[in-house]
Amino acid sequence: MKKILMILTVILFSVANNYTTAGEGTEGKVLPYPIYQKKMANGLNVVTVPYDSPGLAAFYIVVRTGSRDEIEPGKSGFAHFFEHMMFRGTDKYPKDKYSEVLKSTGASANANTSLDRTVYHMTGSSDKLETMFELESDRFMNLKYSIQGFKTEAGAVKGEYTKNSASPYSQLNEKVQETAFDKHTYKHTTMGFFADIVDMPNQYDYSIEFFRRFYRPEYSTIIVVGDVTPENVQALAEKYFSTWKRGDYVSNIPEEPVQTAARYVHIQKPGFPPFLDLNYKGPAFSDKAIDMPALDVLNSILLSDKSELYKKLVIDEQKCRFLGGGAQDSRDPYLISISASLINASDMQYVKDAIVAAYEKAKTTPVDAQLLKDTKTHLKYSFAMNIDNPTSIAESLSAYTWLTNDPESLNRLYALYDKVTAEDLMMVAKKYILPTTLTIGTISPNEKETLQ
Amino acid sequence: MKSYIKTILTFCFVALLASGSSAQELVELKLPKSNKVVIQLMFRNGSICDPAGKEGLTALTSSLVSEGGAGTLSATDIKDKIYPYSASYGSSCDKEVSNFYFEVPADYLNEFYPILKDLMLNPSFKEDDFERVKSNQQNYVDQLIRQSSDEEYGKKYLEDVLFRGTNYQYMTSGTSEGVKSITLDDVKNQYKNFFTRNNLTIGLAGNYSDEFVTRIKTDLKGMSSVVPVIPTPGKAAMAEGLNVEIVAKDNALGSAISAGFPLAITRSNDDFVALMIANSWLGEHRKSYSRLYQKIREARSMNYGDYTYIEWYESGGSNMLPPAGTPRSSNYFSIWIRPVQTASGLKGQYEELKSIEIGHAHFALRMALKEMDALIKNGMTEEDFIKTRDFLRSYTKLYIQSPASQLGYLMDARFYGRKDWIKELDALLSGMTLDQVNKAIKKYWQTQNMNIVIITDKSEAEPLAKSLRNNSPSPMSYSDGLKASLSPDILNEDRTVESYPMPVKKVSIVESESTFRKSVPSDNKGILKIQK
Repeated sequence: MKKILMILTVILFSVANNYTTAGEGTEGKVLPYPIYQKKMANGLNVVTVPYDSPGLAAFYIVVRTGSRDEIEPGKSGFAHFFEHMMFRGTDKYPKDKYSEVLKSTGASANANTSLDRTVYHMTGSSDKLETMFELESDRFMNLKYSIQGFKTEAGAVKGEYTKNSASPYSQLNEKVQETAFDKHTYKHTTMGFFADIVDMPNQYDYSIEFFRRFYRPEYSTIIVVGDVTPENVQALAEKYFSTWKRGDYVSNIPEEPVQTAARYVHIQKPGFPPFLDLNYKGPAFSDKAIDMPALDVLNSILLSDKSELYKKLVIDEQKCRFLGGGAQDSRDPYLISISASLINASDMQYVKDAIVAAYEKAKTTPVDAQLLKDTKTHLKYSFAMNIDNPTSIAESLSAYTWLTNDPESLNRLYALYDKVTAEDLMMVAKKYILPTTLTIGTISPNEKETLQ
Repeated sequence: MKSYIKTILTFCFVALLASGSSAQELVELKLPKSNKVVIQLMFRNGSICDPAGKEGLTALTSSLVSEGGAGTLSATDIKDKIYPYSASYGSSCDKEVSNFYFEVPADYLNEFYPILKDLMLNPSFKEDDFERVKSNQQNYVDQLIRQSSDEEYGKKYLEDVLFRGTNYQYMTSGTSEGVKSITLDDVKNQYKNFFTRNNLTIGLAGNYSDEFVTRIKTDLKGMSSVVPVIPTPGKAAMAEGLNVEIVAKDNALGSAISAGFPLAITRSNDDFVALMIANSWLGEHRKSYSRLYQKIREARSMNYGDYTYIEWYESGGSNMLPPAGTPRSSNYFSIWIRPVQTASGLKGQYEELKSIEIGHAHFALRMALKEMDALIKNGMTEEDFIKTRDFLRSYTKLYIQSPASQLGYLMDARFYGRKDWIKELDALLSGMTLDQVNKAIKKYWQTQNMNIVIITDKSEAEPLAKSLRNNSPSPMSYSDGLKASLSPDILNEDRTVESYPMPVKKVSIVESESTFRKSVPSDNKGILKIQK
C-alpha cells in the first residue's frame, strides 16, 4: 500500500512540476483557487482551475481575435461572422451531426465576439469533458463549410444586427466608435458596418483566409474550471489538440493618432429618454502599469451609486435616472465612457458640466484616505461575490486571457489595486480626462445638441 | 352535478390560497464552504394585486422598498454603508410574486443585517424617493418598452392580447395611466396589505448560522399582520382562429413576432414534463438543434433564432438559461420568432428584390405553424424522444449553478406545490415515455386558435395585414446570391410553406403609441372574485 502511495506521489509530483503556476499558492490572490497552466509545444495554452462543483465543468476556448483584427476595408464584422461559421461543421461532424453530439452532452454552449477576442464556451457534465474536447478540437482544426452554408449564415448575422438595431443605445454606440477613432479598427463595432454585413455572403474566400490566420494554437487558450484535475485536462488537450499547427500571421493594427479636439455625434429620438455619453480616450489594459487600476478606482469613487455625483444628479436633484461608466479593458487604447440618462434634455449642459467638474476636481484634490481604502475593498468583494460557479470563474479568467494572454493577470490586477495611491488618481485624471480627446454622444428629441 | 363539483373546486382553491398566504415559510440551503449569504424574500402578491386604475402599484411598492431609505438611513446612507463590503440587493415584481434579493459576504452578515431588517420592516417611504422611483417606472412604460427591444416589446404585448380584460393583461410595471395615478399613500397601503408576514417565504442560502435563521424568522414576524386577499389570477382567453395584431412603429428594421395560446398546466402537473420534451425538440431557447431554429434560421437564414415556450421565460433576450423568480399559475404556450426582414429593408439591400411587397414575417409564421402541425400530427420519433429527454436530464441541472439560482428554484418549487423541482424533474424525465409525450402534444397543443403579435415598421404593416387577411401566398424573397446556393429540397419545401393555410380570423394594425397606455377596466379585472 505504501508503495502504491509513493508511486502515486511521484507521478503526481512529476506531473505537477510541469505546470508553470501550480504550487505558487493562492495566498493574497483575489482568486482563491490555484490556476494551473501549461503551454503545449504548438503554443496552445491550457488552463485548469479545479473547483468544488460536483459533476460540473465549464470548458472555454479563448481566441485572441476580434473586430480589432478587421484591418481590411469592407471586412468589418468578420470576426463575429466567423464565430457563427464555427458552428457550420466539419467532414467528421457536419453541422447536423455536430448539433446532435453537442445535444447529447446536455451542455449549455455558445460563443461570443468582442473587440479583442472570440470566446467559445460550454458548461456541462464533467464526465462529458472528453466529448467536449473532441468536438472542439475537430472544428478548430478541421472546419469545413459549403458556400451555401456560408451564404446562409450571413443572413443570421444580418438578423442579429436587425434585432440589436431597435435600441437607440446600440445606434449611438455605433456612431460614437465611428467618430472617436480615425485609423484604428476600434472605429467599427464588433457587429460591423451594415453595408459590410449585407456584403458578407460574397466573402467566402476571405473567410478561409480568416480561419487560416487566426484559428491557430498560438492565438488560443483552453480554460477548464470545475470538477476536473489539471492532469486530466492536460492529457485531453495533448490527445486532441497536439496536432494543431501553429500559424504565422500577425495583424498590423493601425495606430490611432492623438485626438486634438472634441467630437460630437447626435441621434434625434422623440419619445425616448435623453442620453449623454462622454467618451475620453483611455489607456490599453496592462497588469503592470498603474493607469488602468487607478482609473477603475477613480471611476468607482466618482460614478458609483454611492458617489457625490450620483447623490447630486440622481438622488437629490433628480436630473438623471442613471449615471455610470468606466474605462473598458482592451488590448489597445479604447474609451473611458461616462453615461447619464436624463429626465429633461434641457439639462444636458448642466449634467455634462457637473460630470466634468467632478473629474476636474479629482485632478487637483487628493481623495480621502478612507474612501480610497473602502473602494479597494469594494472592488475585491465585488469580484469575490461573483465567483460562485464554474462558469463565472471561467468568464473572469477568459477576460484576462484575451487581454494579456495570461489568466494570472487577474490576480496581478487586483494586487495593483492595493498599490493605487491618491496621487495616482490625480495623475490619471490629468492624463486621460482631457477636453481634446473627448467624443460626446447624445440622444434627445432635438434636431441637434450644442454642448460646450 | 357539474355545479356541485364547481363549488367543491372553488372551495378547495380558496382553501389552498388561504393556506398559502397565512404562514411564514422557510426554504434553506446551507453551504458552509460558501463565502457569502444569499437571502431571498418572496411575497405571494405580484401585479395581479394592483387595484384597478393603479396598474404598476405592486412593482412600484417593491422598488420603493429596495431603492429608498430605511429606518434612520437615507438611500444614500445605505449605499455608503455597504460600499466597502459590496453587499448588493434589489427587488423584482412578477404577476403573482414579488422578490427581494440580498447578497452579502458571510463576514459582513451581522453588519448588513440591520439594514435588511429596516428595509423590510421600516422603509422610509419618503416623498422624494417616491417621485424618483415612480418617474423611472413611468419612463419605462411610457417610452423604454416601445423603443429598446422590439422582441421584449412583442412579448409584453402578446400578454396584453392574451390576457385582455384580466389582471394578467398589463405589464408588471403597469400602464401609463395606472402609474401616473399612483400616490405615495397607495404605496403605503399596498405595502401594508400585500407585503405581510402572512404571504412571505424566507429563502436562505450560503454560509449562515442557525441563530441567524431564528433571528430573521423572528424579526420578519414584525411585518404587517394583514392576511392578504389575493385576487384570482386572470386566465388567457383562447382566440377564435388566428387573431393578428400588428404594432406599427417608426424606423423598425425588422418584424419581431410572438404568438401564443392558453396552456392549462404548469410545473405542478406531471404532463408539463412531457411537454418540456416536445417543446425542447421544437424550440428550445437559444439552441441550434431545435426544429424551428433549423428550419427558419439555419436552412433559410431568415433571422437570429426561433424558439417556443411552455411557460414565461424572464428576459429571454439576455438569458441563456431560465432564471428563477417568476412562478405563475396562469400559463400559456408561445412562439418567439426573432426579427425577420421587412420589405423596405430587403429592397434597400438587394436590387433584385425591388418589387416585393412584404418582407419575411408571413412566410416565417407559416413555417412555424407548419412545423408545429407536423409535430402534433406525427408526434416525436422514438430516437428524437430519447435524445431530447436525455439532453434535458443533463441541461436542466445547469439552471442551478449558483447558490442564488439554486435557492430561487427551490422557492419557485414551493409555489407549484413541489419541494425540489430540478431534482424531481430528473426523476420525472427518466420515467417519461414517448407515448406520454405524444399524447400530451395532442392534448395541449394546436395551431388553429392563436393570438399573434408582430412589431414592425409602419411601411410593412398595411401590406402584411393585407397578405395575412387574404391568406395570400407569401413566397420567400431570397437575394439572388443566396437563392442560387440553396438546395432544391429547401426551395421545394418553400413552395409548400408559401401557401400553407393559416386560419386567420382577424388582423388589426395598432399604433405603437397607443399600446400600454390605458388602465384595464375595473369590472373586467376579476379582483376579489375569489370571495364570491
